[in-house]
Formats: sequence, structure tokens, C-alpha cells
Amino acid sequence: MKYEETNKATSTEVDAPSSESRRGFLKLAAISGAAVSVTKRGALANGEIGFWAKDLPDDKLIDMYRTILKIRWHERTQADKMLADPSYRGYNHFYAGQEAVATGVCAALRNDGPFEQIDLVYSSHRPSGHAIAKGVDIPTMVAEMDFRSTGMNGGYAAEMHISDPSVGFIGADGMIGPAPVIASGSAFAFRARESDQVAVVFAGDGNYAAPHFHSTLNNAKLLDLPLIYVCENNLYHQYAHYSYSCPHKDISDAAAAYGIPANVVDGQDVVQVYNAAKTAVDRARAGGGPTFIEAKTYRYYNHWGAPGAKEGELGAFGYDPLAITSFRPEREVRAWMQRDPVDISRKILIDWGILDEARAAEIETEVKQEIASAFEWAMQQPLCNPEDALKHVFAEGTVPARQFG
Amino acid sequence: MAEKSWMYAVLEGVQQEMQQDPKMSWIFELTPPVASNPGMPVINLETEFGRKRVVNTGIDENWMASCVLGAALAGSKAATYIPYQGALIPFEVIQNVAGKLRHMTGGKATPGCVWVIEMTGQTPGFAGQHSCYEEDSYYAHIPGVRTVIPSTPYDAKGMMISALRSSDPVVYLYPAGLRTLQGEVPDEAYEVPLDKAAVRQEGNDLTIVSSGAGMPGVLEAAEKLTADGMSVEVIDLRVLKEMDTETLVNSVGKTKRLLTVDQSYYTLCPGAEVIARVAENVEGVKFKRIAFPDAPPPASPEMFTWMRPNAGHIIEAAKKMV
Repeated sequence: MKYEETNKATSTEVDAPSSESRRGFLKLAAISGAAVSVTKRGALANGEIGFWAKDLPDDKLIDMYRTILKIRWHERTQADKMLADPSYRGYNHFYAGQEAVATGVCAALRNDGPFEQIDLVYSSHRPSGHAIAKGVDIPTMVAEMDFRSTGMNGGYAAEMHISDPSVGFIGADGMIGPAPVIASGSAFAFRARESDQVAVVFAGDGNYAAPHFHSTLNNAKLLDLPLIYVCENNLYHQYAHYSYSCPHKDISDAAAAYGIPANVVDGQDVVQVYNAAKTAVDRARAGGGPTFIEAKTYRYYNHWGAPGAKEGELGAFGYDPLAITSFRPEREVRAWMQRDPVDISRKILIDWGILDEARAAEIETEVKQEIASAFEWAMQQPLCNPEDALKHVFAEGTVPARQFG
Repeated sequence: MAEKSWMYAVLEGVQQEMQQDPKMSWIFELTPPVASNPGMPVINLETEFGRKRVVNTGIDENWMASCVLGAALAGSKAATYIPYQGALIPFEVIQNVAGKLRHMTGGKATPGCVWVIEMTGQTPGFAGQHSCYEEDSYYAHIPGVRTVIPSTPYDAKGMMISALRSSDPVVYLYPAGLRTLQGEVPDEAYEVPLDKAAVRQEGNDLTIVSSGAGMPGVLEAAEKLTADGMSVEVIDLRVLKEMDTETLVNSVGKTKRLLTVDQSYYTLCPGAEVIARVAENVEGVKFKRIAFPDAPPPASPEMFTWMRPNAGHIIEAAKKMV
């Protein structure tokens, strides 16, 4: 195994393509990613440079743009409901700003087909973006987040624990720690049963500090597991900057120490994320073992949001009273918003001649409508039946009520 | 003496001990050691004692729990605040190391440190990995570790000071739902013993025993039952290890009726231990146990609030017993 990908490129390098590709105008597009591009060049076979997006059909690229919009509009609609609709009860750990990461990774996965063949995604935290990118049914997800009995998990899970194995979305636990280790267990099973499936775990910068992080990487490498660890470094775990929990500037440096090929990508640019994920998936399917991808990204909203938020007060979903030790400067938030994943993906597609401005706007209108309908449907769904609380503890039967004595 | 919140009372106790003991440190993740109270100075341990003694770590409860034990073994007092998502991650070091150290070394080790461990599972919407109220049963089971669970701001401060002064390791359970509870709390440092239950109300017909976040519902029920003419004795356990058998036996010896109330799961809830101890020592008692069913708390408010033991359930059960 070679680790060329861990060798850092000089800071001036960008991801500009140099081979003959079917799109001859890619150089322009690369400029959009230049600002924070931190490419780690690696030697690939047959003259490939790893710009796999060159091979994507137009409709797939448009789907990626559409997915980014779905995640964004799901959250904007939900945030509006928190601010304005007193009957809305759902809360969320927001993903807005990070959409290109889930979208780019999931676009490189197998999402359709029998459960025994599709790739599995573990979302430790901020799951709605991962869930939408993996292809869950949005109306039932929205219903779940408002505790409805016809929600994706019958109202048992709510936002922090959503799950839909039928599309390979194993789900979220809202925890720092366990998800990556468990994901490595799924990867272990794939290898043992000689399946070409891969397991992906999304985890934040906060996960670095947990022993689980190190156990995951060590065992994934020792056993050459088909595991892709996507570290979404949005700079903050809850309210603390990641410098409180990790001595590295690039968390991927730690993965390199475990002998795992590691990339740093611009998490705001869906094409860069896709390229890195495709390389990782190809490697895993071919028996080449794990890959670590660190996506530099940012969340726009605060750590979480709940109903009853008041616009302008504590920045609505901005500054939180608990964030005393360390909180995000407003200028940092605004600087990252200049490199918005929605804008970047739209610009790339227009630049590549796949969409024009009018069609791009039309797609956004369609997505807004789809999300609005999802909320409308979800808000009409029935509430849970109290006694159902005693179901699903075991595969069969119910447990006794004990609260009445 | 002033009205203070639970949260403020706890940190005031920690602050006073840290002022007395320059070796003492405090380790936290996510939850800054900051509290304010109307008419009182803001407490901020980090700014007062500096970032060498008051440390904001990465999210690694195993390290936090082990670190304070290691500090104790090196002769320094240390305490850590473990928030609810990680409430059972420290279990191994507390159960398999800290609880055994003194005994294992023939009394030579002094593992006195404090783990403040949050408890949730009291609120709808949390669910899944964000509920952990049942940790009272797990931690109470460990020999060699004192496990306490205050329910008033007064006890919260006094038991924190006693825990920090103890040469034994202490699991200090912190029911998140009580954080904003108000009560009279003296300004000076004082101790509340780590081995005594509290009789909150005296009576002759029925003994109700609970602890921590179960107490507000019990006190509400007792008030209504008293108004309806029942003579109710209310005991707040305060300490799960070592449990104060004497107070329990004296009370039930008088009332001959025992109702236990827990927000923890039914199986092996603290009330199960209370009933066992009373059954061994008092003849002819009528028993009843109210607890959270043996099912994880679901997110839906309709399901959750139906499951959670409340004052209504307690009143109804009490009336059937008397």
C-alpha cells in the first residue's frame, strides 16, 4: 500500500485538470474551489487524475444540485416553522452549509437495490442532510421530526436518531464516539462475506478526541476494511473550536499516522467531495481498505434549533447562551457564507453548460414546492398512541406498564 | 442565605473548595462551569482559577473519568462534569478500577475524586442515546464508590462539598431536570452527609420513597394526599450507596405501607433495593413500586408523558394502599 495521497501539495496548487477530458473548460470551474483548496495529490493508475466528475452524466450532476437544494430548503423551511408556527414541535441539529459533503459522498455510493447490495451510511450527528442525500423519503422524515406516528420511525426516534435501513441509511445516534466503530463492524461483515459493499461514516471534528476514533482507524487498517471515514470538519463541536480537542490543523494527519490514505477536500464544493469519495469507494470495493476524507466545511446555524426561537434574539439560531468558553465570530460565519455550497454547485453546472440560470432557478422552485408539500403532509399526520410506547422493545410482544404501580 | 438555583448552588460549593485547595482541578467538556443567580456574582471557574486547573477537553469521557482518578492517586483532588450523552462511558474505570482500588491494595490507595454525572430521560423529545436516567441503578451497584443523588439546591451544595472532601470516590448524580430548581442555600461552605436519607414529611399511614428527579412529583402528590386527609411520610434517599437502611426501616416500621417511586427502569430500580431492605427487617408490610417501564424512553411527547411516573400515578397508587 502506498500513501502518496497523504503528501501535501504546495499551497498554491489547485484542482485544475491536466488530462484531456470530455469537458474542455474545466479550468474555469476550478477557480470556484481555489480559495480553500488543499489538494493532496496522489498517483493514480492509467494517467487518471482523480477528477471523476468528468465522467458523470448531466442528469446525475443535476441530481446532485437538486439534493443540495433539498437539504437546504428542508432546513430553511423547518427554521421558519420554528420561528413562526406555534404548532410545530420538531427540533434540529442543522446541516445547512455542509450540504455538499453528504451530497458528494452519497453520489459515489450504491443507493438503490436490495439491502444486501447497497452501501451503508452511518450518520453520527446532523443527520437530516445525510439522510436526504442517501435517499430517504422526505415527507416521512419530516413527520418523524415532529413526532408523528406515521413518521419514518413511528415517532420513537425524532431528529437525533432517524434511521431508514431500506435505503442504506443506518441512521444517527447524536453521539460523539460510537458510530465510527459500529460502521467499521458493518465494513467487517462486508469483507467477511466477500461483498463489494462499503460502509461510510460521517463524523464531526469533535470525534477526533474520542477513543472510538482511534480504535476505528486502527482496526479498519489492520483488517483492510471497506470503510470510508468522512470527517466533516466544521470547526466546532457544539460550541467549542476544534483546537480544544485536536492538536492537528488537518485531522487527516491523524489518519495518515494509522497508515490510511487520507485526503483533505473543500467541503463546500460538491465536485471535489465527489471526486474524493469516488476514489475511496473504488479502493474499498477493490479490497484496498479504508480511506479517510476530511471535508473542510461550516454550519451556518447554531449547534441546534428548537421551536419558539425568536428572530433577532441571540441571533435566533446563532449565538447560544451556553457558548461561553468559545463561540463563533459573526465575521467567520459570514466569510464562510461567501462560499456557499448551493451557489458553488449552481455555478459549476452553469459554467459547464449543463444548466442555464433560468433552469437552475426553476429547479430550485420545484424543490421548494416538494419540501413545502412534505411539511404540509407531515403536519396532517396523526400523533402517537401513548400505549405504543411499550412496543418494539423486543422483536415480539410488549413490556408491562410500570408507571401506575 | 439566599434563594439560589441548583446549578448555582453546586458551582458555589465547587468554587469554595477550589479556593481552599489550590491543588484542586475541574475538568469539563461542552458544559462550561459558569452559573449566574439574581443578586449574586457570576461564578466562572475557568476565569477564576485559570485554564491549567479548569480544563475544557475534547469529547472523551473515558479520559475525563480516568484523569480525576489519576489525579487522586497522585495526591490532588479533582472533579469532572460528564454530560448525559456520555454518562455511562466512564463506567468501566469507575466500576473496575476506582471501586476496587482501596480494597485491592489492602487500604493503601486513596482514590478520592468526584464524577458529576448528568441524568436525562425526563423530557419528551430526547429519546435514544440522549436518555440515561437508569444510570442510578448501574452506579449504585458498585462497591467502593459512594453514589449520591441530591434533590434540593441545599443538598446539592452540601453534598458537593462533602463529596470533594471525601477520601472515597464519589459518583454525584446530577438530574438535569433539577438544574433550575430554586431553594434557600447558605452562602458559606457546609457539609451534608454522604450516608443519610432525609425525611421530607412525617406521617403514619404510608411511606413514600424516591430520589433525585422523582422527588418533585412525590412532594406534589404528598401535598395533595395530605390535603385529602392521608398521613404521608416522605423519604428522599439522597444516597444510593451506601443506602440508609435505618431511616427506611424506622419509617416503614411505623407506617407498615411502602410505596417507592423511580424515574429509572422498573427492573433493579433503587426502589427495588429499598423494598428488599425493608422486607428483610419489617414484618407485615404492604408494598408497591412505581417506575419507568422497562422500555427506552421514546421521543414522542404522547408516548413519553404517558410512561413517565407522575404525581397523579402516585396519588392513585397511594389511595389503593391506604
